[in-house]
Amino acid sequence: MSLRPVTAIALNTLREILRDKVVYTFFVFALVISLFGLILGSLSVGQDVRMILDLGLFGINTIGGIIAVFAGANLVYKELEKKTCYLIFTKPVSAWQFIAGKYLGLSACLLILVAAMGIFLGLIVYFVDPSQAFFERAKWISVSVLMVYLELLVIIAAAEFFSTFASPIMSVIFTVSFWMIGHCSASLQEFSRLLTNPLLKQLSNLLYWLLPDLQSLTRARYLIMYGQLPGSEFCLYLSAYIIAYAIILLVLAALVNEKRELP
Amino acid sequence: MTEATAVDSSTVVIEARNLCKDRVSNFLRKHYRVLDGLNLQVTEGTTFGLVGPNGAGKTTTIKLLLGLLRPDDGTAQVLGKVAGDSLALQQIGYLPETPYFYSHLTGREFLDFSGNLFGLDSSTIKSRSQKLLERVSLQKAADERTGKYSKGMLQRLGIAQALINEPKILFLDEPMSGLDPLGRMDMRKILLELKAEGRTIFFNSHLLPDVALLCDRVGVLCNGKLVAESSMADITSTGNVQELEEYFLQHTRSEVPSP
Repeated sequence: MSLRPVTAIALNTLREILRDKVVYTFFVFALVISLFGLILGSLSVGQDVRMILDLGLFGINTIGGIIAVFAGANLVYKELEKKTCYLIFTKPVSAWQFIAGKYLGLSACLLILVAAMGIFLGLIVYFVDPSQAFFERAKWISVSVLMVYLELLVIIAAAEFFSTFASPIMSVIFTVSFWMIGHCSASLQEFSRLLTNPLLKQLSNLLYWLLPDLQSLTRARYLIMYGQLPGSEFCLYLSAYIIAYAIILLVLAALVNEKRELP
Repeated sequence: MTEATAVDSSTVVIEARNLCKDRVSNFLRKHYRVLDGLNLQVTEGTTFGLVGPNGAGKTTTIKLLLGLLRPDDGTAQVLGKVAGDSLALQQIGYLPETPYFYSHLTGREFLDFSGNLFGLDSSTIKSRSQKLLERVSLQKAADERTGKYSKGMLQRLGIAQALINEPKILFLDEPMSGLDPLGRMDMRKILLELKAEGRTIFFNSHLLPDVALLCDRVGVLCNGKLVAESSMADITSTGNVQELEEYFLQHTRSEVPSP
């Protein structure tokens, strides 16, 4: 099976999002972080770098997340609504090639944006506090930003899955709920420990296993940011977990798409 | 001479057997039959025109033959494969009723995108795109975004994308609809060239003058049923549009319920 249709759809999706001027969000990020850096620099009490890093990572995650949710929620729906998919599915393109292409296109766009924001964050930190070795700090920032990107990969997959059968508004609601719950997964596990009813306990456990564990990802990300690597095995496990989760969502999206008729 | 010229006129390339399709209402989930037991055969190299009033089931027929819809009963085959099979789609070109293009792409980029969906290599796409853009007189607007194109330009780009894979069969859904007289003349010229190349063309239309000019065979679809089918030569020996109109009215009047 040829990969050319996948890359063509991915490139088309990337072009579409970039030409929608989504990259302008980078300048919002740059402006906020620069202002914050300057203010903290002038009021320096020794915690400025830490605060810039915290805010920067939060900013990358939030801006990336918003784009993933809103662009992802339109990924498939827009093709159906504008009927551009008629010209795709009357060519030898399978449902999985279409889903994979759309996913890779948005993922590539976010990779560019997240990388640009990460580089800018590194430069601001260096500008505020040039005392620490640039490359050492850049290493930790890069790994942390990579963790943010991993989280976004799941969010894109979820948004694309929901957009195969729901309207953009509903997809946004579903994806944001999925994202929020993913950040409370440890609480869900804690909650199941407190429950005495075996049925409710099992239900709570089931939900914990069904929903993504994004909380561990956030925890690991902040540890890495401050130079405390939680162990390569744990990082590898998290990466494999996130990628597997995204693949499952994409397979489900392809299955929904395969069943679809285009009236 | 193109590859499509060497044809065996007896080879059936499009076949529908007892093809049925239901539409389901949104609220009560009531089933309405929009295509009812269509039996049809189109041989290679033929230009087949499917005519009928609005809502007769013409677009549904094309969508079933392309695999965009699945039949509720019966079978649809194209080039000996089940409709929608990727091996058949590889040799098919399709122009939808209203061309739906990505407004962020230029005409050239869209042809490049279409060629890549067929898995063609870059040099083939580049050379074919250039030739097609010249053929449909879009070379000057090739690097403008399609969002700025007029209806006629979009229709011509639609034909170009349908030809990027050098298809054996072309499915054209109302190729002349919404075009001004000049646009219709351009489209007619392109279709006559394609017909002269010996390609099989299956098209829907309710513009009978175009059907009379282009088609070898005509099918009349009314209320989801194929009520008549004949060769153009049997309907009118002189290519007279009025005779085709009479043929069309004769078969549709008896089917349309009187008010």
